[in-house]
Amino acid sequence: ICNDTSQGRRAVEQLRTEAGLERMKVSKAACELLQYCRAHAQSDPLLTGVPASANPFKDKKTCSIL
Amino acid sequence: MCDQTFLAIVFGPCDKCSKEKPLRAIYIKSEQLNYCSLCVEMMATEGLHENETLASLKSEAESLKGRLEEERAKLHDVELHQVAERVEALGQFVMKTRRTLKGHGNKVLCMDWCKDKRRIVSSSQDGKVIVWDSFTTNKEHAVTMPCTWVMACAYAPSGCAIACGGLDNKCSVYPLTFDKNENMAAKKKSVAMHTNYLSACSFTNSDMQILTASGDGTCALWDVESGQLLQSFHGHGADVLCLDLAPSETGNTFVSGGCDKKAMVWDMRSGQCIQSFETHESDINSVRYYPSGDAFASGSDDATCRLYDLRADREVAIYSKESIIFGASSVDFSLSGRLLFGGYNDYTINVWDVLKGSRVSILFGHENRVSTLRVSPDGTAFCSGSWDHTLRIWA
Repeated sequence: ICNDTSQGRRAVEQLRTEAGLERMKVSKAACELLQYCRAHAQSDPLLTGVPASANPFKDKKTCSIL
Repeated sequence: MCDQTFLAIVFGPCDKCSKEKPLRAIYIKSEQLNYCSLCVEMMATEGLHENETLASLKSEAESLKGRLEEERAKLHDVELHQVAERVEALGQFVMKTRRTLKGHGNKVLCMDWCKDKRRIVSSSQDGKVIVWDSFTTNKEHAVTMPCTWVMACAYAPSGCAIACGGLDNKCSVYPLTFDKNENMAAKKKSVAMHTNYLSACSFTNSDMQILTASGDGTCALWDVESGQLLQSFHGHGADVLCLDLAPSETGNTFVSGGCDKKAMVWDMRSGQCIQSFETHESDINSVRYYPSGDAFASGSDDATCRLYDLRADREVAIYSKESIIFGASSVDFSLSGRLLFGGYNDYTINVWDVLKGSRVSILFGHENRVSTLRVSPDGTAFCSGSWDHTLRIWA
């Protein structure tokens, strides 16, 4: 019984803290996610695709001199 | 000589039993009461405050949960993908396996990139931990752990050490040395001790501290040098399977996910749980912060990946398809946060448009479950590890 009530008390206190959190509207939060993506899109190699010369994993075409 | 203070003893009628006895001041709901020592003892062993019973706590918990739902619902004015309608759709993606790292003798369970964007550490079921040069596919270091199922491994920020652990319930740090005569295993340092398997580990901003997650239901922060426990994080109701540290600019928090279907965000200094999210329908295998630190994604055995926004305090996107019925084991974002890569138990990797919620690509190649996936530090490629014993670098 001791255990259950102390667990119960902790759960209630945790829920009280969480209930008191300051929240933002989804519309505003979503806008900020969009803004971040937009601001960093150009510097995202997997998104924009980079040429072989800039990506060490992409094999560069080699010229062989015969 | 120092001054001595004496506890002033008040004698009088006890507020509970009314007997004339030496009294102790106690506080219940901010009210000061004077109880005799016998009543204080009885209260402590009962574990109950006045007016508080298990039933009343349960009903308060229920009403608080209801209030939380209401508060969260009030702000749910729109869906993320609706706001994202005005964003340009993504084009076709061509991502191929550029390197295959072969050498593990059994299932690859975990991997991590070095900050130098080229080295990788990986661990497997047969107890081997290997450090690779991903450009050349050469193995630079290898160590055999005394246990099987090395489920967690991490590269130190300096690139000079690695951490790993699994069924040994510990997290050990191995300094990396290029001296051929040195036996890597000899310099091993045991840092963390849990009472069940180690499922995840990560260095914090320096080589000095390690954060661990365990099957014992807790996470813990350790000092590497002394092995001392600095902080422990209790709250998950079952095994913790994954964790991720917030990007350094956003401060001292981390997120963890577990078999209790909950994702929890913690304050590293106080050990407090700041926020928790329980919308998944099964174990959460992987959690990863969005690059800005304002959100995080999760991958679960319920075959979905989800995005949770920390400031809106709710789930804002689900990445799923009727055709995807196997669990997602591992997720990571591309540098801008626009793409979410998910490794699944059906051997595939699905690439999601984070904002629009649609799948933009599906990558085939592995011949068994994908168990781990991380994007490289400079975002030029990502690495996946699989139960097919190999790791693949995709770009």
